Amino acid sequence: MDLTFNESESAFRDELRAWIKANHPGEEPAGEDEGYAFRRDWQRQLYEAGWAAVHWPTEFGGRDASLVEAAIFNEELARARAPFPANVLGLLLAGPTLMIWGDEEQKQRYLDPIMSGDEIWCQGFSEPEAGSDLASLKSKAVRDGDDWLITGQKVWTSGAQYSKWCMFVARTDFDAPKHKGLTYFILDMEQEGVEIRPLRQITGDPEFNEIFLENARVPNANVLGGEGNGWTVALTTLMNERAGLAFGLQVGMTVALDELTEQLAASGKLDDPMIADELGALRIKCEILRLTAYRGLTATMKYGQPGPEGSLTKWMWSQGNQELMQFATKALGPQALTGSSTWGRAMLRSRGNSIEGGTTEVLKNIIAERVLGLPRKK
Amino acid sequence: MNFDFTEDQHEIKRTARELLAKRSGIEQIREAAEGEAYDESLFTELRELGWTGIAIDEQYGGAGLGVVELMILSEELGYALAASPFLPNALGGLMIEHAGSDEQRAKWLPGIASGEATATVAFASDGTAEVVADADGAAVIVLIDGEEATLIAREDAEVEPLITIDPTRRYARVSASGGEPLPGDVAGALARAEVALSAEMVGIAQRTQEMGVEYAKERKQFDTPIGAFQAISHRCAQMLFDTEGARSATYFGGWAADADESQLAFAAAIAKAAASEAALSVTASSIQVHGGIGFTWEADVHWFFKRAQLDAAMLGGIGKQRARVTQLTAASLATAGGA
Repeated sequence: MDLTFNESESAFRDELRAWIKANHPGEEPAGEDEGYAFRRDWQRQLYEAGWAAVHWPTEFGGRDASLVEAAIFNEELARARAPFPANVLGLLLAGPTLMIWGDEEQKQRYLDPIMSGDEIWCQGFSEPEAGSDLASLKSKAVRDGDDWLITGQKVWTSGAQYSKWCMFVARTDFDAPKHKGLTYFILDMEQEGVEIRPLRQITGDPEFNEIFLENARVPNANVLGGEGNGWTVALTTLMNERAGLAFGLQVGMTVALDELTEQLAASGKLDDPMIADELGALRIKCEILRLTAYRGLTATMKYGQPGPEGSLTKWMWSQGNQELMQFATKALGPQALTGSSTWGRAMLRSRGNSIEGGTTEVLKNIIAERVLGLPRKK
Repeated sequence: MNFDFTEDQHEIKRTARELLAKRSGIEQIREAAEGEAYDESLFTELRELGWTGIAIDEQYGGAGLGVVELMILSEELGYALAASPFLPNALGGLMIEHAGSDEQRAKWLPGIASGEATATVAFASDGTAEVVADADGAAVIVLIDGEEATLIAREDAEVEPLITIDPTRRYARVSASGGEPLPGDVAGALARAEVALSAEMVGIAQRTQEMGVEYAKERKQFDTPIGAFQAISHRCAQMLFDTEGARSATYFGGWAADADESQLAFAAAIAKAAASEAALSVTASSIQVHGGIGFTWEADVHWFFKRAQLDAAMLGGIGKQRARVTQLTAASLATAGGA
């Protein structure tokens, strides 16, 4: 066991840390569009310095970073309170999916603009009637010469309004069993058949969108991974979704917890044993998340896949972060719920943590069936 | 970054699991608990294999390995719920090795390493410790009162055997006046002991999680294995969540003890809190998954539940650890902010 970084990992971290320090873009401006433009500029900066996609192979412009280095990248970004790059779904989800399933032409065409942020990607998986039961989705694609025409509706589409491309799963065979009749498309968002409507969430922000398609056109060359293979390709995307963000999220929680501890110490509330007790319990959860994420990483590097701990980190994070935000607003008092504080909004946003990227209930089903070997649910 | 055991350490774990499966099955646990006596031949075997001295320096007759190796054995002994004075002896050994004087080490560690003259440790107040594991059979008792630790030879202590809810281990009330102070790093020694104790609770949680899951696969109601019902399967997922979290924290503690003392206090507090919570919640949850049978004497989950209760209370409960975690992080943030 060695829970320190080796020489090359430390060198990677030091180089990155120095670069972030010299190039930190400062505070993100208020406003959805302003914030997005800011994060897009930041991604361009990362791209030009070769930091945008450290986990990608060098042949596609990445640094071929190890899993530990990729984790360090997310940790350092979060620790410096620097923003995540704008095209996060492109970098973490679309890119790796294209590398596995794309043909040579597709890789050449799409990967570089993902990294530079010139072309933003969004994810068209969930539908109003297909949430946890994703494979029951109903968006329909039919052949029209060399093209496909797609009609349907998607929901929870972050960043749709800024996106050039959408990872879009639609049904191409209505007679096949539900997991078999799906196809994964690269959909051009800039066309008449695509309508985007912002969806306001409980914070009041429209972080997500609904998208409505009416005979949207996709050339057959934009099928990814072959007709009828959409479910398998989508699983590649989903696996990357759960693995990719863990480290940044964990450090985000540590940073928030540090900030809360400092605020409580400054106001003398830390002397209250009840406050100190709950804060200690939260710190323990936060550390367990960090340690468990590293255990999963080691297992993946040594054995090719994470052990039982690998399926737990998203659940640990969402539960821990929700408890942290609820505790913060309770411990700091009602002023934390006013417009002058960021805690109230963060607390509202945290309610989504146990839903986005797989609900806690679905994660428990997966753990019960695939890790513990319990019989399929009734 | 490598959060995994070495091949040798994996080998220790495998060997321990296999040996204890043969030598400390449920039948032996029950026999020892109902007879309120240890399996002497098991302890003799562990002594002969050198387990008792695993983390004790070679100059005192030990194997000279680290807290990580001790932690591995402790976890497996917890998994088997072995009826032996192994753990209290090892904890006492850690106290004397890391906080004792050369003279105290030379006097006591050889007996602890060989298991011929065992030790134990407990929290005390004004010379009295209400519940001390394996004090009656020990040759030497370490009592910790605040930041001070005192070493007392068995014959200088008043030891009254106690009945507790945990019949898998012997306990006693100890009072003593005088004794010799341990002059060294009491906090560091105690942190190591907390990690080794946490490992026993990780083993207990792992075992009872497995017992619950097995039962949920076999037991049928409404013509269905109960593990197919989400009320049960989600409870089982929670057991895994608690056990693996405690394992992450405890292994971190073992690593810090052997490789990075600057993180040891923090790591040990997290380990003890997480392992205590996991052992308490997983053993209770496993009883619930077993339903009515889980509440009976014959189901055997209760032995683990009972040991977990005493272990969680040993060397300071969850509340003490949480307070310490907050205190340590607030202090380190203040230092970082001031720097």
